[in-house]
Amino acid sequence: MENKHITIFHGPQHPGITGNMSVELDLIGETIQKATTHVGYLHRGFEKLVERRTVIQAFTIVCRICVPEPDPNEANFAMAVEELAGLEITPRASYIRVMVLELSRLAAQFLWMAGQSGSIGLYAVGQWAIADRDLILDLFEELTGARVYHMYIYPGGVRRDLPEGFLERVSKLLTYMKKRLKDYDDIFINNASFKNRAIGVGIVTKEEAINNGYVGQILRGCGIKADVRKDAPYLIYNELEFDVPTQTAGDVYARALVRRDEMDQGIHILEQVVAKMPEGEVMVKMPTHRKFKLPKDDTWVKVESARGEFAYYMAGDGTENIRRMQVRGPSLVHAFTLLEKLLVGAELSDVALIMNSLGICPPEIER
Amino acid sequence: MFNEIKNQFATNDVIIKRDDLYKVSVNYERVFSLIDFVGDSYNYKTLNAITCTDWIEDNHFAITYMLTTIDRRSTFMIQTMVSRENTKIKSLSQKFKQAEIMERDLAEMYGIDFVGNKNLKELSLENWVHTPPLRREFDTLEFVNNHLTFREGRDDNVDTKVEAKRLRAIKKAEKEALKKAKEEAEAKKIQEENQDGK
Repeated sequence: MENKHITIFHGPQHPGITGNMSVELDLIGETIQKATTHVGYLHRGFEKLVERRTVIQAFTIVCRICVPEPDPNEANFAMAVEELAGLEITPRASYIRVMVLELSRLAAQFLWMAGQSGSIGLYAVGQWAIADRDLILDLFEELTGARVYHMYIYPGGVRRDLPEGFLERVSKLLTYMKKRLKDYDDIFINNASFKNRAIGVGIVTKEEAINNGYVGQILRGCGIKADVRKDAPYLIYNELEFDVPTQTAGDVYARALVRRDEMDQGIHILEQVVAKMPEGEVMVKMPTHRKFKLPKDDTWVKVESARGEFAYYMAGDGTENIRRMQVRGPSLVHAFTLLEKLLVGAELSDVALIMNSLGICPPEIER
Repeated sequence: MFNEIKNQFATNDVIIKRDDLYKVSVNYERVFSLIDFVGDSYNYKTLNAITCTDWIEDNHFAITYMLTTIDRRSTFMIQTMVSRENTKIKSLSQKFKQAEIMERDLAEMYGIDFVGNKNLKELSLENWVHTPPLRREFDTLEFVNNHLTFREGRDDNVDTKVEAKRLRAIKKAEKEALKKAKEEAEAKKIQEENQDGK
């Protein structure tokens, strides 16, 4: 009986962990009695670094705050700077930003699909998903010169205009994706192995989701129609038609269905953006970056990332530097308040499954 | 709502920042009753974030609580100033579960004591004994110079400034050589033309 309790670390080097973090698990048999999240393997001090840099120098590092989906960081940073500096971007820049954000969301959903399926051993899905994500990264490479960290959504607009024929290539990819996603339904979403493992696991209730500040698919998975793009529209989202998919069960499977439906909605949004893309300039006239000063004021901006509401607090102090930039990604609360609770009573084999369904990304916890 | 807040919480500092974002600044003594008030009366029931800004020149921290309505359509920024010295703030972790981790983060980065938060243990900094890193007096460059050693790098590693100077010198020499060759060619051409003319 002395060996009844055992403690093991799930991560930081474990294929079932979503990035550089670990969860300390107290077990009796295979059942988790207590879970404690540990971070600190990845702290790069972004929030301190931006205080030492000029606004535009800071812009180059914000995309690195989230690896799977860097663009919401760029968008938040640009929107906060524009709001403080009183800049208004052009309609074409708004449309291009939405296109980049939606492509980035789609790429992040493919990455989630790879992680979620891999957490239960369906490795073929992961290989497909990474290959399909690469098609989106090809477009990013053509548009921005980089596959992952784009540094494209620049304060004042976007860094360069679309290459010739780019919209046609986006349309072609969307046509392929619409057809291709049906394959994922067969091999993954409707797969009995996934359903058996995901239904009834990691349940979050509606009240808990509201009270504890959960966002994204956690809210939508338990029936709350919350999406920043609808609730507090930014850029040109109020000109676009799309639905906010919801489910009611609140479990891992419900969150997977929400994500899958969101991919369809993402394609629908992208089709509208391609059809409506206006002509015009993509950048407003900006002061030289060494002379670019933010007034002594603060703001709070947010966008809907692939994993939920992603927000920035930014304060200027009348100098070339940003006084304070605080990142509020979905992961801080999900990885501690939610994950530590959801894992209690769960089986050891479900840890990776539950973690992936929450979309936890450690870089935005240790910013 | 704004008049009620102005009267009840003795502040004139209420700003409409956007259609979906309001900000109010109040004294520390009134901040928690204001959080209760906007929650109970106006549905700002979800705590989204707690932020801290270090105004070292004024010797205070600006603590901002972001509260959103249940439908997520509107955000209220409630800001209060607290002293930078031995900062003690009442914890919101009893009211909002998520405040526990948000306060733990700020406690580590600014050295603020959130009274009533039972879980203020270290988060990402292991065995940190220096000044909390997000305080303005913490100098990252000085810390790096005093505590870290630089790797020598590869055998062919060169100082970037020296290398840039060398490359500039090569470029300049090339440019001058090109200019000289051009001048010589032109001179030769003129000479040939003169000879032809004769």
